[in-house]
Amino acid sequence: MRTRLFALLIMVSILLSGCAQPTTQVPAEPVKETVVVTVEVPGEVQVTTVVEEVLVTPTPGPNPEAVIEGVEQNAEITFWTFWLSPTFDDYIKSTIARFQEAYPGVTVNWEDHQATFQDDLRNAFAAGNAPDVINLSISEGWVSDYATQGLLLPLDDVVPQSAIDMYFPNLWDQQLVDGTHYQFPWYQGIQVNLVNRQIYDQTGLTIEDFPKTVDGLPALCKTIKEVTGTLCDIRLTVNDLLAQMTYEGGVQVINADGTAFTFDSPEAVAWLQLYVNMVKDGTVDKTVLVTDQDRVGLDLFTTGQAAFYNTGPNLIREVRANNPGLYGYLAVVPAPVGKSGVVGKGLMAISVKADTAFPNASIALSQFFTNPRSMLEFSKIVAIYPSTPASYDDPFFSAAPVAIEDSAKPYAKDAVSKLADIVPTVPHKADVNEIVLQAIQQALFNNVDPQQALSDAVASANALLP
Amino acid sequence: MTKKLSLTPYFFLIPALLVIAVFVLYPIVAVVYYSFTDYNISTPPEWVGLKNYQQLMKDPIFWQALSHSLIYLIVTPTLIFLSILLAIVVNRKLPGIHAFRALFFIPAISGSIAVGIAWRLMLDTNGIINGTLLSLGILKEPIQWLAEPAYTLPIAMMLTTWLGVGYYMMVFLAGLQNIPEELYDAALIDGCNVWQKHRHVSIPGLRPQITFVAVISSLAALQVFNEIFTLTGGLGGILNSGVTIVFYLWRQAFRLNHAGFASAIAMVLLVITLAFSIMNIRILERGTEAD
Repeated sequence: MRTRLFALLIMVSILLSGCAQPTTQVPAEPVKETVVVTVEVPGEVQVTTVVEEVLVTPTPGPNPEAVIEGVEQNAEITFWTFWLSPTFDDYIKSTIARFQEAYPGVTVNWEDHQATFQDDLRNAFAAGNAPDVINLSISEGWVSDYATQGLLLPLDDVVPQSAIDMYFPNLWDQQLVDGTHYQFPWYQGIQVNLVNRQIYDQTGLTIEDFPKTVDGLPALCKTIKEVTGTLCDIRLTVNDLLAQMTYEGGVQVINADGTAFTFDSPEAVAWLQLYVNMVKDGTVDKTVLVTDQDRVGLDLFTTGQAAFYNTGPNLIREVRANNPGLYGYLAVVPAPVGKSGVVGKGLMAISVKADTAFPNASIALSQFFTNPRSMLEFSKIVAIYPSTPASYDDPFFSAAPVAIEDSAKPYAKDAVSKLADIVPTVPHKADVNEIVLQAIQQALFNNVDPQQALSDAVASANALLP
Repeated sequence: MTKKLSLTPYFFLIPALLVIAVFVLYPIVAVVYYSFTDYNISTPPEWVGLKNYQQLMKDPIFWQALSHSLIYLIVTPTLIFLSILLAIVVNRKLPGIHAFRALFFIPAISGSIAVGIAWRLMLDTNGIINGTLLSLGILKEPIQWLAEPAYTLPIAMMLTTWLGVGYYMMVFLAGLQNIPEELYDAALIDGCNVWQKHRHVSIPGLRPQITFVAVISSLAALQVFNEIFTLTGGLGGILNSGVTIVFYLWRQAFRLNHAGFASAIAMVLLVITLAFSIMNIRILERGTEAD
């Protein structure tokens, strides 16, 4: 009887240890446990229950954050981030350390690249030493740019459904190329308008009066110019004007079968006319309007020379660091919505390069940095918003905002869940955007009729199509 | 034995030749090759023959950029004139003259990007320049200096001049201090006034420095980029008003990913700068021979 019981205990131990994943073990200490075993002896009617106290070593449980299987042993991968160092060094390093606990044996070499990120990345791809895991911008369209060149790893067949389900579906489904996913949604931003109340309040308007739609901006800028003499600090997204037309003007930029551009429609002309009117009225800073660097507009606002600026709450830290005097006069309002009714698209993503030697380790790192816990911890140190609904269950998001940076926290989950990339795939995107930029400048600054400028641009863009 | 000895110098040259081959010759050959390809940096280049050059000849922005670069050469005589003037002014033994020399030299050791950003802020609608002009009653309304196509290039040229004048002043100062004092004494005995003294002694004495500054500053002017980039916030000026040939090259290579087309621009620039340098040296050497 005792022999059978001992054999059974050994079997249970072996079974339990077999269930554990070798890559996800956590250190275990021997503990005293009460083991209850019911033994049914065949051939006998009697059922014996044995209760005995034994000393056992608990079998290590799986690390809940290790959700990717088949991670390559001794993998060494490189991870590039975009403009996060030195401010977030501690966060990145501690997250990598946690990753290495979850996936022992994987080495991660982290590099942060800043203003030259795109140049560095293109050169790295050309030289054949691109990073395995890459932080790419959704808002700038980098994911689709690199994916269409075949440089990123398709994720559909390699990421388990349980991991996909962690993300907001609208964010997971962004920047598909031919229906294929290439990115893990990372941190998100909510577009807001930072308001300098020292200037804005002189107009007699209240914060609640701030326009809810883009159409309301010309009237506001006119009032601000008349009352305060300052110009509006509004920036066209010159690197992706087709996207801005789509969101703000509700413009369909290319026909359904992708054979002809259509951004000279009445909706597109009306959208351009709105900006042409503001330039003619002299109510916008023309330098900022067409700069391709967000920092130029942010600098103008930070120096206290503008009434408002459209940006993310995460950049309030720039205002606080560079002009603490202005920080006390800041207010935050939701960014006006365009005719599409969609606030905007996501901000940042993490992708894996197509020819990585360690696809599973790279996917694991991408997924790890974008999992609910990593996202939540990141949110706690800077005003960014998780791409994972579970992160918002933390009391951090339900707590009443204290600092101005936290103003968007109460409605962040709702806002992030509505972000969407509604811009269709545009062939020769950079070239078409350049054509549109030249056309828009002709209309804004050279008195060319907006309809004429856009029709000419459409003709030039169509010439690029096969 | 003799053969071994004759090879020795070449072995000493190998390290330097390797460096030149890797960092000078290979890039030049690569750019020549890329100029005949469709290349976006990330993926391998595809041979397209003369297509990039044909496209370049038909591209109105390229011609606009080329004309801007040629206009930019005005900074060369401006720099030479102002630098010589400053060198003459500071080439005297006055109390605190070293401080003045250092002051004029500060822009030369300041980063052009930082200086560009500083100037951009000064030229801003609410910047110090508008503020001063408004308070003096010269302006009634602030001017968006950098948003006016007519001002973009002159402002950038002014910035280049401001950045370079201190450096070239030092070059001319060194040249002036090498001119024998006896020549000035002789000029005085001959009855020269101050203007004639510099016209007939200083300027001829500075001819080697003038040749050097003319070549170096005109090459720099043809390749101007930083000033344009920072002043225009990366756009190149409204309606391409500040786009120079190197800025256009950068835009094609790194914003539009047309590295092949950008290489064709680089080849054209190479030919222009080469021709310009040879012409410059020949003209100035001819002047020296005439003297």
